[in-house]
Amino acid sequence: MTDWNAMSDAEFRKEVRDFFEAEYPEELRHLPHRPKFAEIEHWHRKLHAKGWVAPAWPTEYGGMGLNAAKLLIFYEEQQRWGVNRGRDMGIQMVGPLIIKFGTQEQKDYWLPRILSCEDIWCQGYSEPGAGSDLANLRTRAEIEGDEFVINGQKIWTTMAHDATHIFMLVRTDPDTPKKQQGISFLLAPMDQPGVEVRTITTLSGETEFCEVFFDNARTPRENLVGELNKGWTMAKALLSFERIFIGSPSLAQNALGQLENFARGRGAFEDPVFRDRFAQAALDVEDHAALYGRFADQLKRGETLGADVSMLKIWVTECFQRITELMIEAAGADGGTIGPLQVGNVSVDVLASFYKARPTTIYGGSNEIQRNILSKAVLGLPS
Amino acid sequence: MNSSDQEDLRLLRESARTLFDRAGGSGRARKLRDAGGGWDGNMIRELAEAGVFGVTVPEDNGGLGMGLAAGGVIAEEVGRVIAPEPVVVTIGLSLGLLRRLCPDHAKMEQLVGGETVLAVAWLERGPNGGPAEASCRYADGKLTGGKAWVVGASDAQGFLVVAEGDAGPVVVLAEAGADGLSVEERRQADGSAMGELSFSGTPAEELAIGGAVPGALAEAVKDATALAAAELVGLSARAFEIALEYIKTREQFDKPIGSFQVIQHRAVDLNVMCEVAQSGVREALALMDSETDPKARARLASRAKARAVTAAKKVTRDAIQLHGAVGYTDEFDIGLYLNRALVLSAWLGDDAYHRRIWFEAREEEAAQ
Ligand SMILES: Cc1cc2nc3c(=O)[nH]c(=O)nc-3n(C[C@H](O)[C@H](O)[C@H](O)COP(=O)(O)OP(=O)(O)OC[C@H]3O[C@@H](n4cnc5c(N)ncnc54)[C@H](O)[C@@H]3O)c2cc1C
Repeated sequence: MTDWNAMSDAEFRKEVRDFFEAEYPEELRHLPHRPKFAEIEHWHRKLHAKGWVAPAWPTEYGGMGLNAAKLLIFYEEQQRWGVNRGRDMGIQMVGPLIIKFGTQEQKDYWLPRILSCEDIWCQGYSEPGAGSDLANLRTRAEIEGDEFVINGQKIWTTMAHDATHIFMLVRTDPDTPKKQQGISFLLAPMDQPGVEVRTITTLSGETEFCEVFFDNARTPRENLVGELNKGWTMAKALLSFERIFIGSPSLAQNALGQLENFARGRGAFEDPVFRDRFAQAALDVEDHAALYGRFADQLKRGETLGADVSMLKIWVTECFQRITELMIEAAGADGGTIGPLQVGNVSVDVLASFYKARPTTIYGGSNEIQRNILSKAVLGLPS
Repeated sequence: MNSSDQEDLRLLRESARTLFDRAGGSGRARKLRDAGGGWDGNMIRELAEAGVFGVTVPEDNGGLGMGLAAGGVIAEEVGRVIAPEPVVVTIGLSLGLLRRLCPDHAKMEQLVGGETVLAVAWLERGPNGGPAEASCRYADGKLTGGKAWVVGASDAQGFLVVAEGDAGPVVVLAEAGADGLSVEERRQADGSAMGELSFSGTPAEELAIGGAVPGALAEAVKDATALAAAELVGLSARAFEIALEYIKTREQFDKPIGSFQVIQHRAVDLNVMCEVAQSGVREALALMDSETDPKARARLASRAKARAVTAAKKVTRDAIQLHGAVGYTDEFDIGLYLNRALVLSAWLGDDAYHRRIWFEAREEEAAQ
C-alpha cells in the first residue's frame, strides 16, 4: 500500500490532481446542487476501487491515512477541479466517530458499508427548537428491551430523502442539571414505519434538506456509539479538522474565477465602480488565502489549531457571499434569471452561485456563533 | 521561506521590539510630537547599530541582505509604537534608490550607519493642488523648480532629488540648508511635517543619470509602499490591543463593556481584519523579494497597501468609538494611532488608489 504521507507535497498534489483530471466525469464538475447518490454512483465506484473514498481514515479501516497536511492538499485539489464531495456524511462524520469511540463489532460492521456506500448517511442533529443552541435538543430515545425507541423530530437534515441511515443526537436522560448532559449518539435505519421524511424546498427551489419525524421508531441497542449520555462531548470532539476545512479559500476562489469570466464577458470592467469592487473582493480572497496558509502551516508542523481558526470561516463565507452578489450586479437585468447565462463561450449560473453562498454563514456554526466563540476563547472577553 | 529564515525574522522582530519598548514605546512618540514633531537622533543611531537600516542592503554594500520581508518586520515594530523616525523612508526610499543606482556611493554607508538621514523628493504639485507632471530641472550643477510631499524634510541632512537633466533624468543630492533651497512645512495630523521644497539655483551633486533612474525610482517607491503597509499592520495590531484592553476594563451598567455582544462582535471583526492584513502584507513582501517583473511588483505593493490602509482605517476609527468620549481626547494614546494612520494612509496612495493600481497591473500582467 502506498504511503502517501512519505511523498513530497508536490508529488502528492500531482498524483491527486492527475487522478481527478483523468477520471472525474466532466458532467459532474462544479455541480450546482447536491446530487442524489444515483447521480454520482459511477464516480463513487471509481473512487472506491482506487481506495480513495476516505482520505482521512486510517489505512487499517480502508482509508488513505493522510496526515493533516496531505489531507488539505487532497481537499484543495478536489475543490479546485470541482469534484463533488459525494454523499460523504458517513465518511466525514459517522466513520470517524465510530473509529474513535465505537466497539470492534461496530467498526467491523459499519465501516466497510460506509466506504462502499451500501449505507448512505444523513446527519440528524438540528431540531426546530435546537439550532445554534443544539444542546436544547428534545428528541427522546428510551430503552425498551433490546431496542431504543425514538420519538421526536429532526429538521434541516440534508439529503435525508436519499439516505438509508441517520446518525443522531438524542436525549436519553431528560433530568440532568445541564442540558449538555443526557445526550447520546445513536445510529438508526431510516427504512421503517416509525420514520417519516418530508422534504423541504430551499430558496433555490431544490430539495436538499428535510424534516424527519420519529414516532416510536426503533433501533437496536448496539447502535449506541460510545457511552450512554456522553454523546455531546463525542460530537464536539470531531470538529477540530472540520474548522479549517470549512474556512478553506476554494469556494470563494472558484466563485471569483466565475465572476471574472462573467464580468469580462459582459463588459462590466468598463465601469470603474465595478472594477473597484471586484478588486476589493479579489484582494479579500488573496489575503484570506495567506491567512489560511498560516493555519495550514501550523497543521503541517504538527501543531493543533486553536479556536482562532474560526476566523477563516467568518471571513471566507462572507467574502463568498459578496462575490456572488457582484455576479448578480454584473448580470444587470438578467440578475433574476434562473439557470445558466451564456457569455461568449462561458456559461455561468449566477443565481445558483448566489444561493449556494447564502447558507454558508448559517451552517457549520453560524457566523454569529463563531464570533461569540472567538470573543470568548481568543480575545478573552467576559460574559 | 524556510524555517531558519523564519527564525532570523523572529530574532529581528524581538530585538526591534525590545529597542523601542526600552525607549518608551508610544509614550516616546507623544513626547516627540509635543516637542515639535521631529525625530530623535539617538534613536536613529541605536536603530543603525541594530542593523535596521541595512536590512535590504546587500552584504557586499555593508547591509544585512535580508530582503524586504525583514524590512517589513521592522516597519511593523515601528508602527506598533508609532515611532516618528523615518525608517521606511530610509530603507524603502533613500536606500532603495541608492542601492539600485549607485551602491558604492559613500552616502550608502552613512545611511546604513545612521550618520545621516536623507529625504527623497520626486513628486510635484500642480496648480489645482494635486500631483503634476515633473518640471524641476537640473543643469550646470544647480536645481530649479519645486518638489512636494517630501517626508522628513524638516530634519533630514539632505535631499535626494529626482529631476530632469540635460541628458535625461537625474538623481542629485542637495544638502539641507543649501543656497536657494527653501522648505515649507505642512503640518500633518500626527504632528510630523511634510515638506514642500523650492529650488532656485540650488547646488546639488549628481549621483545618477539616465534611463535607469525612472525604473529605480519606481521600484524604490514600491518598496516604500509595501513597507508603509507593514508599518500600518503593526500600528493596527497595537491599536486593536489598546481597544481590547479598554473594553475589558471600562465598566458601564455594572459590567465591563466588553461583555456586550455588539461590542464583542465588533472586536472580533477588528481582530480578523488585523490578522488578514498581517498575513496578506507579509506574504506580499515576501513575494516581492523574489519577484523581478515590475508589473508583478507593482501589483504586490498595491495589494499590501490597499489591505493595510483598509484595515488601519477601520481599526483606528472603530477603536475611537469603542473608547467613547475619552477616545476623542488627546489624552489617550488611541488618538495618536488614529492620527498616525491618517498620515500613513494618505502617503504613497490610499486603499482606493492602490486597488486601482492593483487592477491595472494585473490586467497588464495578463496581457504580457
Ligand atoms: C443548507 C443547510 C444544511 C443543513 N444541514 C444540516 C444537517 O444535515 N443536519 C443537521 O443537523 N443540521 C443541518 N443544518 C442546520 C444547521 O446546523 C442550523 O441551521 C444551524 O445550527 C443554525 O440553527 P438555526 O437554523 O436554527 O438558526 P438559529 O439558531 O435560530 O439562529 C438564527 C439567527 O440567530 C443567530 N443567533 C443564534 N444564537 C445566537 C447567539 N447566541 N448570539 C448571536 N446570534 C445568535 C444565528 O446566528 C442566526 O443568524 C443545515 C442548515 C442549512 C442552512
